[in-house]
Amino acid sequence: MSDDNQPDARTDGGTGIVPPDDETPTWSERKSRRAGLPRLTYEYFERARREDQDLREQSTYVERDVLGFPTWPHELIRNLALTSFFVGMLLLLSATLPPHIGNPANPSSTPAIILPDWYLYWSFGLLKLGDLNPAISLLGEQKLMADRTYGVLANVVIVGAIAIVPFLNKGSARRPVEQPFWAAVGMGGVTFAFTISMLSIQNIMPMNVSLLFDLTFLAPLVVGAITYAVLKTMREGYMYDLNRRYYRLRPPK
Amino acid sequence: MSLKEKDEHDHLGWMEEKQLSPIEKGYLFTLIWLDKRFRVVDYLELLETMYYRVNLQMPKSHTEQYNLDNKFWYWYPLYALGSFSTLAYVVAALSGALLGFYYTPSAAAAETGTVAYSQLAMIMQDLQFGFMLRSIHRWSAQVMTAAVFLHMLRVYFTGAYKEPRELNWLLGIVLISLTMGFGYTGYLLPWDQLAYWAGQIGVEMALSIPIVGEWVAQLVFGGFSLGAPTLQRMYILHVFLLPFVVTSLIAIHIAIVWMQGIAEPH
Repeated sequence: MSDDNQPDARTDGGTGIVPPDDETPTWSERKSRRAGLPRLTYEYFERARREDQDLREQSTYVERDVLGFPTWPHELIRNLALTSFFVGMLLLLSATLPPHIGNPANPSSTPAIILPDWYLYWSFGLLKLGDLNPAISLLGEQKLMADRTYGVLANVVIVGAIAIVPFLNKGSARRPVEQPFWAAVGMGGVTFAFTISMLSIQNIMPMNVSLLFDLTFLAPLVVGAITYAVLKTMREGYMYDLNRRYYRLRPPK
Repeated sequence: MSLKEKDEHDHLGWMEEKQLSPIEKGYLFTLIWLDKRFRVVDYLELLETMYYRVNLQMPKSHTEQYNLDNKFWYWYPLYALGSFSTLAYVVAALSGALLGFYYTPSAAAAETGTVAYSQLAMIMQDLQFGFMLRSIHRWSAQVMTAAVFLHMLRVYFTGAYKEPRELNWLLGIVLISLTMGFGYTGYLLPWDQLAYWAGQIGVEMALSIPIVGEWVAQLVFGGFSLGAPTLQRMYILHVFLLPFVVTSLIAIHIAIVWMQGIAEPH
């Protein structure tokens, strides 16, 4: 094998078939054959591997490449131990609470109560936010978009908000006490998911609809505020403990 | 193996100069004899590797390493939710494949309602274990959805979505949406009153999407009102499209968890 980039003289008629080389080129060999982006890639890989190696040499305990709980074998063995229990629970549920089948579909008779399955209640509830759809006075109190469109967009907004969480909340804090604000947001979100589900089944809720509508938005705020206050209060004692045990050994970023 | 090239293959000469006891000599002779014929040495190396793999020491977990109060076990059920939803998915897939033997996605008129509905009645009333089969399928789907929601909450409240796990969080959002899509398409298949009117809501939601609404309604529901095409499309989504997509996404999701490890609360 020639390592230079000169094309070899073709004496065999030029099939273009390169004989396989049983020696796998080392990283530095590959690097020396490359230019531009591939070369940068190899240089980065070498550097990253060297850093890994340095970390391993510094460490004083049995090796682990990731700073997390190992999936194999720890997590998976414990999960496998729970498997039969879990499947047994499923079978028990199926045997004791059999499903229901309603009357056949009849397009000409609309039932009094139309509901999706429970896990879609939140989305169904977001369709009933017509009262929050702003009316623009410039347009003669006309709504900017139809209530239905507004409801569908509300779904997009909620999912989008959940999606960008990791890009808003950074840093190494993990426990709720370390980040009271985000824990409060989470508790508010859970409460909102519950109240908006209740709003979606408003016609079978034994409650005044406008009161329910107000509670839908007030309750999450209240729960969030309480969570924030409680965690802030707990924080000092808790963080003292954490600092003593943990941050001394592994300072946060 | 010999270090000098000249002794290569001269195993007997090598044995002579080692001054072995008769037992050692007999053992080595047998080993060499067998190795010349079956290349035993390779298999012995494999065995040795397996020995070391089996007897690997468990690495210390994060909490052990830093001598934190080891309350990890206390929260453990919450950490098993992801694997529970995968398990429920497997159970749903198996029972669903069996149900698929008997179900027909046809909205043609039958004695009671449609063919789909009467097939479902047949599964529940006449088929041996049919009622149980549908029950298992439905409950595993319900439990999977519940487990997926709780899994998301666990990940949120333990901050497990943070660097370097952002992409898995996004993938998880796609998966939870697809799980609900699975549930919705399955909810429509019995073609009873509940299914029909839930489908009606779906069509209206699709039509409310700005700009592409009508196109989406056509594509997903096969028209602006419910009918045979809707049932057919829900069936194909439920038993063909979603299983492929969701199974591969779950595989990627778990592979990423495997590479990155389970995020422990600091």
